[in-house]
Amino acid sequence: MATRSMNRQMNPGFYKLSGRAGANKRALKLDAPLILSLFCLAVYGLMVLFSASGENINDVERQAAAIVVAFVVMIAIAQFEVDFFRRGALLMYVGGLGVLVIVLLFGSEVNGATAWLDLPGLPSFQPSELEKFLVPMMLASYMSNRSLPPRFKDLLVCAVIILLPSALILLQNDTGTALMVAMSGIFTVLLAGISWRIVFSGAALLIMASPAWYIFLAKAHQKNRILTFFDPYRDPTGAGYNIIQSQIAIGSGGVQGKGWLNGAQSQLDFIPESNTDFILAVLAEEFGLLGVLFLVTLYLAVLARGFYIALTAQDTFGRLLAGSIILTFFFYAFVNMAMVSGLMPVVGLPLPLVSKGGTSIVTLLIGFGILMSIHTHKRVLPR
Amino acid sequence: MAEKFKLNDHERDTLIFNRRMIVAGVFIFLLISAFIAWMVYLQVYRYDYFAARSDGNRLHSQYVAPNRGLIYDRNGVLLADNRPIFNLTVVRETATNLDVSLDLLRSVIDLSDDDIEQYRARQSRRAVPHTSVPLRYQLSEEEMANIAVNQHLLPGIAVEAQLVRHYPFRERASHAIGYVSEINKDEMTAMDADMAANYRGTHQIGKTGIEKTYESLLHGQVGYETVEKNNRGQVMRVLDRTDPIPGRDIVLHMDSRLQAAAEKALGDKRGAVVAIDPATGGVLAMVSKPGYDPNLFVTGISRAQLADLNRSGHTPLFNRAIASRVPGSTIKPFIGLAGLYHETITPETVIGDPGYFRLQGRTRPYYDWTWWVDKSGHGAIDLRRAIYQSCNTYFYQLAVDLGIEKIHDYLVTFGFGENHAIDIPEASGGIVPSEAWKMENRGEIWYPGETPYEGIGNGIFQATTLQMAAAAAAIANHGVLKQPRMLRGTIGSDGEETDVIFPDTAASKQLLPSQEQIELVRNAMVDVVNKPYDSEHRRHEGSAYPVLRASGEPLLYPMGGKSGTAQVVQFQVDSAGNRDDGEVAEQFRTHAMFIAFDASEHSRIAVAVFVENGGGGGTVAFPVARAVLDAYLVPEQETFTEVSVAHNDH
Repeated sequence: MATRSMNRQMNPGFYKLSGRAGANKRALKLDAPLILSLFCLAVYGLMVLFSASGENINDVERQAAAIVVAFVVMIAIAQFEVDFFRRGALLMYVGGLGVLVIVLLFGSEVNGATAWLDLPGLPSFQPSELEKFLVPMMLASYMSNRSLPPRFKDLLVCAVIILLPSALILLQNDTGTALMVAMSGIFTVLLAGISWRIVFSGAALLIMASPAWYIFLAKAHQKNRILTFFDPYRDPTGAGYNIIQSQIAIGSGGVQGKGWLNGAQSQLDFIPESNTDFILAVLAEEFGLLGVLFLVTLYLAVLARGFYIALTAQDTFGRLLAGSIILTFFFYAFVNMAMVSGLMPVVGLPLPLVSKGGTSIVTLLIGFGILMSIHTHKRVLPR
Repeated sequence: MAEKFKLNDHERDTLIFNRRMIVAGVFIFLLISAFIAWMVYLQVYRYDYFAARSDGNRLHSQYVAPNRGLIYDRNGVLLADNRPIFNLTVVRETATNLDVSLDLLRSVIDLSDDDIEQYRARQSRRAVPHTSVPLRYQLSEEEMANIAVNQHLLPGIAVEAQLVRHYPFRERASHAIGYVSEINKDEMTAMDADMAANYRGTHQIGKTGIEKTYESLLHGQVGYETVEKNNRGQVMRVLDRTDPIPGRDIVLHMDSRLQAAAEKALGDKRGAVVAIDPATGGVLAMVSKPGYDPNLFVTGISRAQLADLNRSGHTPLFNRAIASRVPGSTIKPFIGLAGLYHETITPETVIGDPGYFRLQGRTRPYYDWTWWVDKSGHGAIDLRRAIYQSCNTYFYQLAVDLGIEKIHDYLVTFGFGENHAIDIPEASGGIVPSEAWKMENRGEIWYPGETPYEGIGNGIFQATTLQMAAAAAAIANHGVLKQPRMLRGTIGSDGEETDVIFPDTAASKQLLPSQEQIELVRNAMVDVVNKPYDSEHRRHEGSAYPVLRASGEPLLYPMGGKSGTAQVVQFQVDSAGNRDDGEVAEQFRTHAMFIAFDASEHSRIAVAVFVENGGGGGTVAFPVARAVLDAYLVPEQETFTEVSVAHNDH
């Protein structure tokens, strides 16, 4: 079997790496391929952002500063032993729930969602973002003591672990993040080997329930987004405006693009949110299909490295956590690209490492810090 | 055992996890492939479509209004020019939330409900989509600053500079020059396709006067440009431009200084003054009082302003100079000419005037003005004296002897009964009655009893002040009539001046008696002003002479003229026969008329004056006519002071 042979091939490298780690304990725990591809993505993103923000160098400088901070945080987190995360998972998870409750009670409201915490002396941040790691961490920690695939009782526990923070975030009126947190948990459970029968019946249930959700539960703006997705021209100057202009920008970019800083749609402000959620439209207009392929390639490089880390992880905890983080990352990027190009209804998600926004980059790189920690802290297993 | 189990589990766990990762990898591969396929579809397959859409977003063709031609008087004084103002404009298609924007605007600038209402009307008649429509005109600097600060909250709203018409002299010659104002729906539907295309960038059109008559000369040819606009409708770049061709400047016969003098001479009285150059027919001055400030109309007059204008009830917008009136005795010289032409009379014909006239076989008397003074008449009187004494009885008799048809046929050749002005189409034609006219217009036959009144200009006949001035100019010009005209020449954008010469058919239709007889009438009109009291004979002085003498200022040039007094209502004459205008309510008072001319060999000016409810023509209208002639013929005399208006236009 392919997996089995892959396992065998990996073994020598595995011992070699851990041996090296043991020999030089003071060296920084880093993963060069991951850092390099993330760095390329960040630089590419800054270029696009410079154009998307109307050549506003202040925006780019602020973003660059956030990227530097994020890289420092990532490297710092990479120095933690992977055991630290496993042992601390429960504590962090419970702490995270506590913070969510506090946010619910004292948080400040931005764009209708009570998701932000203003601490004196710190930039305001969104604790729910961290749940994207805390939930997989908790799940991975729970599953690491058990054999895969999870049994029915384990699944119930997993469901509770996922639902608690998701529900709290939902209460904050932040549906998007709640869905993403739930997805990160679901990825973990999927990787843990939940039986396909449950997956398919769950999916079928969701599909069957969706009309009921649409009729009874969906809010007006959610219905609107879905209707707009199917026919952007039902309200071309209102709800459909973003996606129409975005598609015009992408399509008019052609193969080679109009050139950096030369995108008419971008530079003349026809693309709304051009430096945040819709920044892909700017990229596609100015750098064309080639630029899009380059972006996808960079994302795939990160993805490949993440897959490699997950596959070579030492134990169930590392595997599940790494796998979940990398899938969540891909999910983010893909949902944004699909929504901007009109393949999916509009949901408010940034393009990882490219869209303007320091918090999103820092949380993203926290995840990659954990990934690096998993990869660089391996111990010799008793055999 | 437990250890072995654990090891087995570990391998099994790895296997399960790795399988799931492979499934995820396949899934990701499929998703990425779908995404790339979609991007290829958008960016390669549908590239042309989206590229065109993108250009459609940013590229806009817009019309560039030509600069309107300027209006000069004969001495090069600017009567109408253009000046830049800054307007607040709206492009409806990009103004996504207009009501919110309007609320915001209301709080930062002076924007009334009236402005918004007018804007909505303009919006509803805008022909070209994606073009801007004015919301408010003439923003102040402060207002522009307030808008700039809030610009990001005002999508589709912009401040645009525009050249608009400006009349530096305001009320002066307002009726003659007219004004421009916003194009209305009727005007727009009346345009043919070419004209409509040419007015795509134009907001205003000539509404009255010269501005309307010469709209086609003044307007020019619209230009086009292709511009790149951003999402808020701001023009970022001009990519291509076809310059508009400005309208031609036009030069009028009008003399701005004379116009000012005539307006001053008329003072606050309601009425009209028209001055004409007898040799050319050029209108040197055209006054109608009360006047108005045409600048009010350019960017749309508000209801309050319009109500304010009309409050007096004296219809300031109405051009009295081209409205027809009963002319009173000013018609007598022309009736005289008719008599001479038809040989009904000769200069030597003498009639006896007992103070009244009776139609043969009738008892009803037609009184002479002398009857009201002392129940007597002029005695034996010939044409010349009948003119300078303004004898009614003579002209009652002459009118009856001629008959209404001959009077009609003669007067129409003198420019009466139709508007024969070349470029004043708004002028009334007046009325020259005949049997046919009366049947057609009143459905009645002509009664013989009406004819005598036609001899003294207090019947059905009506003429405009303009027509009276033109007729007076014909006598000044030794009988030869010229059609009145405003336009003297045009100036192209290259600065080259072209004189405009109109074909003039008036003189060819004229029925003139011998030159000697024309001179007799002309001299009789000189006598009206100049013939002094005759100590030998009673009533041998000119009818206007007493007023001239009373003024204490002798004339410095030869002047001819004729006074007239037109009854507003027919007074029932009682046996006592006394009538004092001073006791009559103002609106029933007689209208005062005077026609006058420079009586030198080559006459330079003829004038007609009409003072509404003014009283007697000799006492009220003559001084006005004299002041106008003085102003034109005695330039060194400071009869008026030139107001330097060009600089105080605000």
